[in-house]
Amino acid sequence: MRYRTTPWLFLTPFLLAFTAFFIAPVGYAVYLSLFIKKRSGFGPAQNVFGGLENYLRAFQDTAFLQSLGNILLFLAIQVPIMLIVATAMALILDSVKSGSAQKFFRTAFYLPYTVPGVIAGLLWGYLYSKNLSPLNQITGLKTDFLSSSILLFSIGNIVTWTWTGYNMITLYAALQNVPGDIYEAARIDGASNWNLTRYIKLPLLRPALTLTAIFSIIGTMQIFSEPFVLRPLGYVPDNITPNTYLYLAVARDGNFGYGAALAIIMALFTLIFSSFFLRNVRGETA
Amino acid sequence: MKKVMLSLSALSISTLLLAGSALAADPAFPKAPSGNITLEVWSWVPGLDKTVASFEKAYPNIKIKILNLGGGPATYTKLQTAIKAGAGAPDVAQVEYGFLPAFADTGGLADLSKYGAGDYEEYFVPWTWGQVSPDGKAVYAIPQDTGPFAMVYRNDILKKYGVAVPKTWDEYAKAAATVKTKSKGTVKFGNFYSTFAPWFMALAWADGGQFFKRDGDGWIQNLNNASAKKVLNYWNGMIRRGEVGTLAGFSADYWNAAGAGKLATNMEAAWGPGGYAGSLGTKSAGMWRAAPLPQWTAGGSIKSGNWGGSSNVVTTQSKNPQAATLFALWLNLSSTAITADWNNGGLFPASDAGLALPALAVTSKNPSKFFGGQNISAVYAQASRGVNVNFEWAPWFPFVNDNYTKQIDRMLKGQLTPDQALDAWQAESLAYAKQNGFTVK
Amino acid sequence: MTTTNLDQPQTVKTAQAPRPPGRPRQGFSPLQWAALSLFCIYSLLPLWWVLTTMTKSNGQLYSTFGLWFTSPSNFAENVQILFTRDNGIFLRWLLNSILYAGVSAVGSMLFAAMGGYAFSKFRFRGSGPMFNIILATIMVPSTALALPIFLLMQKIGLINTYWAVILPSLVNPFGLYLMRLFWDAGFPTDLMEAARIDGASESKIFWQLGLPLVRGGLVTVALFSFVGAWNNFFLPLVVVNRDTLFPLTLGLSVWNQTSVSSGQDPIYTVIVLGALVSILPLIIAFLSLGRYWQGGLTSGATKG
Repeated sequence: MRYRTTPWLFLTPFLLAFTAFFIAPVGYAVYLSLFIKKRSGFGPAQNVFGGLENYLRAFQDTAFLQSLGNILLFLAIQVPIMLIVATAMALILDSVKSGSAQKFFRTAFYLPYTVPGVIAGLLWGYLYSKNLSPLNQITGLKTDFLSSSILLFSIGNIVTWTWTGYNMITLYAALQNVPGDIYEAARIDGASNWNLTRYIKLPLLRPALTLTAIFSIIGTMQIFSEPFVLRPLGYVPDNITPNTYLYLAVARDGNFGYGAALAIIMALFTLIFSSFFLRNVRGETA
Repeated sequence: MKKVMLSLSALSISTLLLAGSALAADPAFPKAPSGNITLEVWSWVPGLDKTVASFEKAYPNIKIKILNLGGGPATYTKLQTAIKAGAGAPDVAQVEYGFLPAFADTGGLADLSKYGAGDYEEYFVPWTWGQVSPDGKAVYAIPQDTGPFAMVYRNDILKKYGVAVPKTWDEYAKAAATVKTKSKGTVKFGNFYSTFAPWFMALAWADGGQFFKRDGDGWIQNLNNASAKKVLNYWNGMIRRGEVGTLAGFSADYWNAAGAGKLATNMEAAWGPGGYAGSLGTKSAGMWRAAPLPQWTAGGSIKSGNWGGSSNVVTTQSKNPQAATLFALWLNLSSTAITADWNNGGLFPASDAGLALPALAVTSKNPSKFFGGQNISAVYAQASRGVNVNFEWAPWFPFVNDNYTKQIDRMLKGQLTPDQALDAWQAESLAYAKQNGFTVK
Repeated sequence: MTTTNLDQPQTVKTAQAPRPPGRPRQGFSPLQWAALSLFCIYSLLPLWWVLTTMTKSNGQLYSTFGLWFTSPSNFAENVQILFTRDNGIFLRWLLNSILYAGVSAVGSMLFAAMGGYAFSKFRFRGSGPMFNIILATIMVPSTALALPIFLLMQKIGLINTYWAVILPSLVNPFGLYLMRLFWDAGFPTDLMEAARIDGASESKIFWQLGLPLVRGGLVTVALFSFVGAWNNFFLPLVVVNRDTLFPLTLGLSVWNQTSVSSGQDPIYTVIVLGALVSILPLIIAFLSLGRYWQGGLTSGATKG
């Protein structure tokens, strides 16, 4: 068969880079995760083989487990809010024919996505300051957005601000891509606007929603820059997200083995969560 | 009249200092190795490239490459990673004192006593040498700058409320109560930096508090020591009574309050006033002054602590440790470098003779200009000599540093008393240190 | 789904432009206007703050109302500081970002297009599991890869080179996934086989026949990679120590770190101005290519 080698030729460039910059580092991380730090006296710590010790430690590390709990909270609250708002906005924009107002809103909603996480953290950090916050100045309240009791929500807000518009555009585009004759048909049947949305548009959005949901799960798991930039402004727990906890294990504590183990657990956690989600969604559709 | 008096007293202090320091700046530096050498230096000191030009002039065979990778944590992460990788580390890097033991612990720092650094101990302010050579033998770094503690205050606000500059903590607390009453709570007398462990530790340090100590083959950690408890209870009382604020340091909120006259005093390190001048600009310019740190007992010599300041380490990856050591010594002992670093970056020198350099006493430039033309360097020089010499840090300090913020947050929310917060700080840090294999009590 | 016969001439046609079916109304209802405006304010308010702040000095930042301008304006001075500080390094960072993002966009687009083509149009041993493995790597947190990548780069001597940032950014597993969907939908296998019968070579089929048909996908993947590389922070943070090699995100964050930790010469408002300059190219890219992008991402998504 002359086509036996052809696909491989097409795949080679991607696979080479993929192996070098994904597979090899992941393999190396797995290797690193098997080593623990040992020390005696004042000398520098030695890295010795510890088998699965780092993994056992992680599953008993309440701080780490709490950080995963925070993520579950995010998935339960922030992600649904973000996707519901994004869907609502997409449906509204899709409900009338394209015009300049629509173009303006689309662009406005998308803009936050272009702001890098570090910068977003910086500017929200300012908007959150107790006495200077324009939000407090306008409302006359003295809300401390950075108080550790509501910090998770303040971070959730930054994430929502950054990503809602992006998700909205994705969903909106999905609606625009739907062949017009389907709507035509429904309209002919006398479907009301609400029924059109409920029975035609929403089901058609399902694949796009699944996609945005999966990406939100992955993104939530990797939240890092926002809490990190807020650290100098108040008390931000080490374990507010798994990623900050992992980062501190490596950058602050110099424990590369433990950090690697945490990273692998996080990746598996994401994988399990996403596939669980995917299966449920698929199951419903079938 | 007042102004003349002030500068007179400043003058007398600096003459005293001059007399006190037997050693001049610019000692004889070690001989430079021959051959063409390039040294890579990681530092976030502003304007260091200008300082370095003089070094390259004096030692034409040595080229210096300065890299600013971001202050503090950003540089540490890189250094940590490069040491781990066994390659990519610079010859010289800037590291704050509190973080030195953590890096020494990686094994990535060269022992500079091998390159003659031990001979220069006497040229530095005594307590700084204890920081870079805790066991008195190995030398892990050359002291660069320091942050001895003093009090900055708004002259106009103190006058307005008829309060004298407090000399003791007792007077400070009374003044705080007075200002609160007279201003109807609109002006806070002081501010407790709730996220800066080293700030709090410096206050306890001034009282002789010891948080870490080497003991045989292991360590003793005592975060809930008597001084710490005394200091924290004292501040917590004022916070509860609403006399002292708890704004995060260097935050927009803080500068806003400081500039708008909602804050009367604060305890700041020697590098602090430069930040006031830089951040507040024209707002409240000329209204600030500096005075020695209030004392627990009246009448004695001024005791102080230190917050921040950093040192220069040489890594074991350096191919030219001899030249790197020479550079680190030159950078921190030559009057040219000290003067330039003060002018460009507000670095308060660790060099003993450096404290008396004329540049520090210039009152027509910031930060002194911002402080009403007061020679604030004299206040800080005096503080520097009153810093307890035996203060030590431990390799797990970075964790201790973060954990402090957690316990204080709980204290401010009223979930813990100050004593409980310190006990929790001690317990959680101890557990962490043990888990990471340190022998510690 | 509702099924009806479609030739029933029911809908009333508007005089000029035919309405898109199913989107009959001309304008938003008051309620819709309210919802849109509210969300619009939420999206733009922080950016409005950027616009006012970049005209202020640091002192003004701390002493004036955050959402309005102040006089005297410090804008000109901020611009001057931005482009002259540290010997004008900001311009260098800007060019670096353009280089990193540009090469990443073109390179990862091509790699993904070729890879996606292989998975879409050929059946070969192990293609299923391999595709799943590639997809699964999207889940690996970037923090986990950073250190191993650094160590590997160190071994092959790529640390502190442009390659250290560029090479890893050429891999875009999600791009490959998207391209596969685009190939599935946009390039019928019949067409490919017809071309083969006509004697076209495999490379000709791909480059001349196939690629033009998946243009939307190419633009989508390129834009994705461009934005990803432009906003990338973690990778350059780890693999590059020379400030001459920094991208904008890293450079600005170093300035910010220095302002925070030395406190001597804070330039927050200049950094905010720099941030605005750094997002302008993305806004332009979106506005000029948005048409493709919107169509693009989702023609994949609806098929997924």
